Amino acid sequence: MISSPSSGTMWRKFLAIALIFYALALLQNSFLSHFSLLGSIPNLVFIFFFLLVFFNKTGSIYEMIFWAVLAGFFLDVFSYSYIGPNIILFLVVGYLSKETQLMLKNRNDKFPPGYFISLFLIFLVGYKIFISLFLYCSGTATSLEILSTNLLAGLFYNLIFAMAGFGIFRFIYAKKIQG
Amino acid sequence: MVASLRNFSIKKKGKNLLKILAGIVIALIILFILNVFVAPVKNLVYIISSPIQKVFWQAGESSSLFFSSFLKDGFLIKENEDLRTENQKLLSQVAILQSITEGNKAQSDVSASCQNRNFNLVMAGIVGLDDKDILSINKGSDDGITEDMPVINSQNVLFGRVFKVYNNFSQILLVSNKESVTNVKVFRTQVGQEEGILDEVDGVVRGAGGLAAYLDLVPVSSDIKTDEVLVTSSIDKSFPKDLLVGKIIQPEKNDQNPFQQAKISLFLDIGTADNLFVITNYKQVK
Repeated sequence: MISSPSSGTMWRKFLAIALIFYALALLQNSFLSHFSLLGSIPNLVFIFFFLLVFFNKTGSIYEMIFWAVLAGFFLDVFSYSYIGPNIILFLVVGYLSKETQLMLKNRNDKFPPGYFISLFLIFLVGYKIFISLFLYCSGTATSLEILSTNLLAGLFYNLIFAMAGFGIFRFIYAKKIQG
Repeated sequence: MVASLRNFSIKKKGKNLLKILAGIVIALIILFILNVFVAPVKNLVYIISSPIQKVFWQAGESSSLFFSSFLKDGFLIKENEDLRTENQKLLSQVAILQSITEGNKAQSDVSASCQNRNFNLVMAGIVGLDDKDILSINKGSDDGITEDMPVINSQNVLFGRVFKVYNNFSQILLVSNKESVTNVKVFRTQVGQEEGILDEVDGVVRGAGGLAAYLDLVPVSSDIKTDEVLVTSSIDKSFPKDLLVGKIIQPEKNDQNPFQQAKISLFLDIGTADNLFVITNYKQVK
């Protein structure tokens, strides 16, 4: 049984999540730039956001909106584009992934890695396609880059980090349930 | 009973829809306001983040070097780095010497001025790089930087041009960015070339993303070879002449196409370039 947190705990949780998003955005823009795989850098902000949504069984839609706005803002502010496209896409990804997860939910109410991997890859590809479309339509990019050669490398690289995060989240969730 | 429940459900759904619509409208207004003040917002976040980002950047640089030493022999990496730096310096000098040999005084003047750093240069530190090959540096309009200024390193290797400028930082469009097209010429360095005749082949370097690029639009009649050096040409005046760009790895000639392409290796190396230089007094012709 998960106990309902007090408002003080909730605020601390929100603040901690905001700081994590900020730190991850900084990390992927500076530290991880030196560890690119065929030009791809893992999108830690997307991974963390997706994990939060995936493991959020009791949270409201407002919580998801809060995370999406934060995650999207930090990605947009460090990008060379406008502020907004990532926020909107994160809102869509958050909502759709939650809905899909509810449809696919199994009886034991656990988090099977198979669900996670397939959902993560589908939403990451969708996210990349729509970001490319936005950059193209807004005139920031002159070519529409959807199926590039390093897309697979990027998916694989992101998946490694996502699976590591999945392991950590599942461990924390199991501990929470036991507690 | 069932009908009243259905009515209640429809009303609830309608209320939710209204709430969602109101939320979307509010969100769009907030986004619009944020984008009106996008430059100050980004600059403020940069000012707060810059010290941490610099630490992360340096940590990434030293960690990547540390990890790559597991894959390769550390000594060889260091030696390779030294040789690469020396090679780039020598290539710069070759460019000047060849210009003099050709008798093109103007060209040698530009090369020499570049070599002697007579350009007005603003030194800037790298603080970030995204996966679209956009580099962030810690100097902005407060330091006299404006858009489209060329960015080089201490060995006259072209990195790109200033893409966006904020008060305290700027974003650089690297030559490897997919939107980047740079006019270049292939510099011949063969021994035994007839004195006074310099065979230059024009082409463009197109960014391929992932810090890579390729040579394009080289006339099919031109003979380009592996290891030949690419330097900036003066065709579009975006960059000063004779800045080092890269070298040819593998020419790809197809007689059916009017132009040939080539795989190239760029000289820009973000792993070892702590500081870059923005040329602030180069007059561009647009």
